[in-house]
Parts: sequence; C-alpha cells; structure tokens
Amino acid sequence: MDRVDIAIIGTGPAGISAAITSVIRNKKILLLGSADLSAKMRKAQEIRNYPGLPAVSGEALSAAMQEHLSSMGIEITEDKIISVYAMGSYFALQAASGIMYEASSVILAAGVTAAKPFPGEEELLGRGVSYCATCDAPLCRGKEVIVIGFSPDEEKEAAFLAETASAVTYIPMYRQEVQLPETIRVERARPAGIASDGQKRIVRTQEGTLTCDAVFVLRESVSAGTLVPGLETDGPHVKVDLQMRTNLPGCYACGDIAGKPYQYIKAAGQGNTAALSAVSDLDEKKDS
Amino acid sequence: MVKKISGDDFQEVLESKKAVVDFSAGWCGPCKMLAPVIDAISSDLDGQVDFFNIDVDEAPELAAQYSVMSIPAVILFKDGEAVSVAVGFRPQPELETWIRDTLL
Repeated sequence: MDRVDIAIIGTGPAGISAAITSVIRNKKILLLGSADLSAKMRKAQEIRNYPGLPAVSGEALSAAMQEHLSSMGIEITEDKIISVYAMGSYFALQAASGIMYEASSVILAAGVTAAKPFPGEEELLGRGVSYCATCDAPLCRGKEVIVIGFSPDEEKEAAFLAETASAVTYIPMYRQEVQLPETIRVERARPAGIASDGQKRIVRTQEGTLTCDAVFVLRESVSAGTLVPGLETDGPHVKVDLQMRTNLPGCYACGDIAGKPYQYIKAAGQGNTAALSAVSDLDEKKDS
Repeated sequence: MVKKISGDDFQEVLESKKAVVDFSAGWCGPCKMLAPVIDAISSDLDGQVDFFNIDVDEAPELAAQYSVMSIPAVILFKDGEAVSVAVGFRPQPELETWIRDTLL
C-alpha cells in the first residue's frame, strides 16, 4: 500500500471540500467514505443558505458535489476506518476490510453520531469493557461475556467470542431477528449502565442486572477520541484551532465533527481550511 | 531496546528499579502498532529505564496476576511494584511523557 499525502475520512460536504482543495494543490489523497456521499445530506429537504445555490434540495446538492468530484477524477474508497494510529512521521489507518492504509496526514470529516456511551462504559474501557472482539477474545478464555451489538453486523463478532468464552449473552440494540448459534443466549433488554465490583462486571438494564467477566460494546461507528488514540476531544467533537489543526501534528478535523454549528456551508468551508493547513504543513516538512 | 521475556524471567522486572512492561500478543493489531513506539521510547530512555515485552499467550498467569483484560497493556514498575497502567495504543509523545512523569 503506497503512502498518500492526505487521507480524508468522511464523504459529506467537509470531506468532499477537503478532497477538492487537496487535489487542486497537487497532493495525493485517499478519500474514504461512502459512494453515496452522505445520507444525511441527501435527506435534507431544502438548503437555503448555501451561497450560489438558493433553495437547493439535499439530493441536488449531493448530485452537484458528486459531479464536482467526478470532473476532477477524485475517487471514493469505500472502506470503514476503525482505528487511526499516530506514528509520528505518518498515520496508519486500520480499515474494517483488514487493509492498513498509510498517510502523511489525516483529515477527520466523519460527522457526528448521536450515540452516547453508557454510564460507566468509558471509565471501564480496558478494565472489563472492550470495543474490539478480535483484539480481546483470547483474553476471555473460560470467561463469561456480554456483547451489546448495535447492528446485525456485530452478530458474527459474538459468534467469534463464543469460540473462546465459556458463555456469551447477546443484547441486540435493534429490532431485527437475530441469527446466532444456539449456545448464545439472546437477551432483549435495554442496557442502562455498566459497573464493576472489582471481580465481576455488571450490566444494568431496565429489567434487572446481568453479571459477567467482560462486556463488549460493539457500535457501528466509534467516537473520534476512540478512533484516534491521543486525540483531544470536547464531548462528541474534536478540538481544533481556527486552522482546523488538532493537538496531533498532521491531524486535522472539519465539519460537524469539529463542532457546531452543523451547517453544510460551514462544513465545506472548514474542509477547505483543513486541506490548506495539511498542504502547508506537508510543504513545510518537505522544505526543512 | 525492548527485552522479550517469558513468565520465568519475570524476576528481572521485579528486580529492576524502573521498568516498563508491554503486555501484548502477535495477533493483536494495536499491539503491533505500539511496538515501534515503545522501541523508540526505549532508545530515548536508554540507561534510565528497563523495557520489557511479554506475550500474554505465553504467560497467561502473569496477565491474570496483573489484571490484564485488554491489550496492549503497558504497566510501569517501580522497585518491583506495578504503579501505573495504560491500556491501548497511545502516540509516542503522550506515552513518553507518562513514562517520564511516573518513573523519572
């Protein structure tokens, strides 16, 4: 895998704008996201404050951005990034596909998710609560495990854990039918919090409590702070300065992920700024 | 330099004045990414702090003894006592500052 100059995570207006500016400045980029750009943007009824496009529908704006990308030969790589490692001189991006991408700089433009962590979840991360079944399954040999899955995709993670753990309880956070081996107990309860008494982990639900040795919380998307270890965040947002720089050199953030207001034009503007900062920093490194 | 040790050599950690122990495993992605970071820090702190690496599959009793439930887990030891733990990948500047502040 060749190392690119700038990896952009997110294909909403922020990521698209960052990609366009980066390419105009002759940088090699990797634009990661969905070929459909942004479902949120598509669904917008009418956007009235995007200068130059009075009363544009989300679909039309999306189509226009799609056309802009195509006209510049900018392709989208559909792969979900699950971890970004700041290695100092470059960034390693671990994707769900198993591919490890490399980039000299990273622009975070992944938007905001409504999902809030459960009470106790963040405090117990690494001490009984895990986000990664592949990473921690071997440490659960002979142990009892609870898996809280936010989408049917997580069912295979629960099945994987069942190969090592002595018992797996699966709590689905969705309504569809669950397809799991019979050895896994499915508990349709709403988790309210996670606690630890030193020896065991306790998951409180609306119906009562469940005890186990380890809890796996498997969400579709992770928070920025979890995605990029070492990144300074402020609640669900990434802390940035006016040039969209984060606390990690070579890492920038733009759009909803960088804070309010959540507006398309603001996202596009920040995407442009983040790209110019990345370009400037890359050029400075080359010259020094 | 990071010395790979097994459960039998753990005495070296207990006898060291200042030690950093990286609990990891070959199949763990974040562990592989953390390895070069720990290696770089070990060079920076060469002569001041001892650096060790333990494979949790080879030494499960040690992992259990120090309550390692997620890896990578970096445990700092002062005169044989575990004084601080950091779980998961951290960038070098953050990890090095934590090690310096805790051990030096």
